[in-house]
Amino acid sequence: MSAAFSKEGFRSLRLAWATLAIAIAAAAGIGWGSHWFLQKERRDDVASQRQLGEARARLETAKREREDLRVSAAMFQDLVNRGILREEKRLELVERLDRLKERHRIIELDYEIAPQRPLPLAGGRVFNAIDIFASRVRVRAKALHEGEALAFVEDLVRMDKGFNPANRCSLSRLEPGAADTVSPRVEADCSLEWISLKDKRGGRAS
Amino acid sequence: MAKLVVYLTNAGLVALEAKGARLVGRHTFAATAAGREAFSAYAAGRRGDAVHVLTDLAEEDFRLDTIPHLGGKDRDAVLSRKLAQIFRNTPYKYALTQGREAEGRRDDRVVYTAITNGEVLRPWVELFEHLELAVAGIHSSAIFSGRLLADLGLALPHALLVTFTPGGSIRQTYFRDGEIRFSRLTPVDLEEGDTLGGLIAGETARTWQYLDSVRSFGTGDRLEVCVLLHPRDRPAVEPALRDFNQITYRALDIEQVSGQIGLKPAPATSGAEEVLAHLFLKRGAPNHYAPPELRRFSQVRSTRQAIYGAAGAVLAAGLAFAGWNTFLALQNRASDERTGAQVKALAREHDEVMRSLPSLGAGGPTMRDTVAFYAGSLRGYPSVSEFLVPLSGAIERHPRVRLTQVAWQTTEDEKTTPAFLPILSRSPPPVRTMAKGGEVAAAVRPPVEADPPFSPGRLSVALLEAIVRVDGNGLRAALDEVESLVAEIGKLPGYRATIVEAPLDISSKAGIQGRLGEKPPAESLARFTVKVTRTQEVRP
Repeated sequence: MSAAFSKEGFRSLRLAWATLAIAIAAAAGIGWGSHWFLQKERRDDVASQRQLGEARARLETAKREREDLRVSAAMFQDLVNRGILREEKRLELVERLDRLKERHRIIELDYEIAPQRPLPLAGGRVFNAIDIFASRVRVRAKALHEGEALAFVEDLVRMDKGFNPANRCSLSRLEPGAADTVSPRVEADCSLEWISLKDKRGGRAS
Repeated sequence: MAKLVVYLTNAGLVALEAKGARLVGRHTFAATAAGREAFSAYAAGRRGDAVHVLTDLAEEDFRLDTIPHLGGKDRDAVLSRKLAQIFRNTPYKYALTQGREAEGRRDDRVVYTAITNGEVLRPWVELFEHLELAVAGIHSSAIFSGRLLADLGLALPHALLVTFTPGGSIRQTYFRDGEIRFSRLTPVDLEEGDTLGGLIAGETARTWQYLDSVRSFGTGDRLEVCVLLHPRDRPAVEPALRDFNQITYRALDIEQVSGQIGLKPAPATSGAEEVLAHLFLKRGAPNHYAPPELRRFSQVRSTRQAIYGAAGAVLAAGLAFAGWNTFLALQNRASDERTGAQVKALAREHDEVMRSLPSLGAGGPTMRDTVAFYAGSLRGYPSVSEFLVPLSGAIERHPRVRLTQVAWQTTEDEKTTPAFLPILSRSPPPVRTMAKGGEVAAAVRPPVEADPPFSPGRLSVALLEAIVRVDGNGLRAALDEVESLVAEIGKLPGYRATIVEAPLDISSKAGIQGRLGEKPPAESLARFTVKVTRTQEVRP
């Protein structure tokens, strides 16, 4: 056995062994520290790359939105002018029904305007920025001729202001009344949705 | 790394200090108490040096032998036993295996050598021990001098190397084909009238006689004597060295030899110690005589150096790893900073784009959603009028048909069928379709969903109820009329029509009831229903 590994040898080499141990510990510490530093920088770099990707995506979305909005701005303005974002003005509708009754010589007109409610859309579709409300309007109009009844309904759903699509209508012939009286021959029974939108952020376009 | 080559002779000790393979200092100490005391004082300051002892002593003995060719431990055991037998009283012994015999068993040729009188070494060894000098080995200068001939390119079959030893002796070492066979040390003791050349000539002649007596030479062999000399001594030596048939002389100029082996400066005398020490530092040699206990400080020193070397290597590796990691990390950081700058630039551009968005009193998402809802659900929404106008044209071309009621609705599902309460004909035909319970069939209004989802109106569907005039029992004509009407409606763009209730169900599934009187009725009215579907054109 080498004298270096005898008891005396170990005693003589205490300082050297201690130095080796310290060197190993220092090297391990330095190595681990530098590795940790590298990993941290790599994590930071990965995070930055992710932020860069997100920023690019945000910018692309914004640019796309700007293009979309440029295209649809005119249409939006038209819709606003037609009152799509305006609150319901029920008296205007009541007055309009009255005028249409006169214009189309409706003999009898019954209508019901239900309380406004959130309008359920087909497929459960929702929009992030707007809420959609509607008041169901049920109209029963009796006229002498089916043309007058249909013209009344058409005028009602194609109003300049507001959106009132009729999604259900029935027309039926009525039994003629006494020969000496003017009795209605046709009855139209229609259901309309009086639609208005509301900005979820609370704003309403004028 | 500092080394100390100690050239030990019977007369004293020459300490040759070295750095690498270069000799940088020389100190001479006599083999006396005063000399050893001086050496002790000198060597105390060189405890960290590796000490190599080159011996050039008269007590060195060389014996030739052959042993069977063995390997590994067996050969070591044989050599140890032989050494113990030949040199019983000294720890300073060594067996040098040089080659194999050409004939017979092809035994190994061995030279056993020893410092036969350990007392010569003892005072110095005690001093080395006391001073804890790191003695790496004790080497025979005679054995090692063979390297000199090899390095000078003197591959002679029979060579006798003559060197001068510090303290006034000459060593003659005989090499046969480069293998040491014999060596002896002779003191230079010139009497009046003798010359150094004469002494060398006489001693070499005696050596030749001895070698010849032990049959070292064959017929025609010639011993080439190589004398290492300083130029100053050549005039005193060369005239006496006269060649003859068995012996030729070759003077090796020590200055030229030094130049050949790279020793600078060349020695100032004919002493060979510096030449051999320099060659030893360049070539190295295994330990010859030093027992393990004498080498323990050297082993500890070597181990210490190895440990420090390992510590340095580990630390260097750690630093290199850390440096590489740091380099990569800084590259990442630079990349990170560039990316950060890009992110900021993109954020600024994003803000500019957002500021440039058209604003009409509402946010972009509101505008987009509003337009999307309108385009998807309201634009081109069908109405009952535009549905019925094309139909009325078709119906007018069938004067026997009269529409009694229409139920219309928008839907997403083609299977949807609107419902109404049937208006039964007041003068039905005598032959009618019978319901399951035996009654005449009549549609029943299905329940209407309370608040169905708002349909975007891509499909309009209507159930038309009408009556067709039947002359007498002419149901066939009535059926043809209805089918003709349905076919005509189907030709309208976007329209499809199917009969839901025919004037008379003539399939095998339904029952038919007939009540015919004495005379057939002149005219009757048969009720039927038709389902009409219209697909809305794709909206721009």
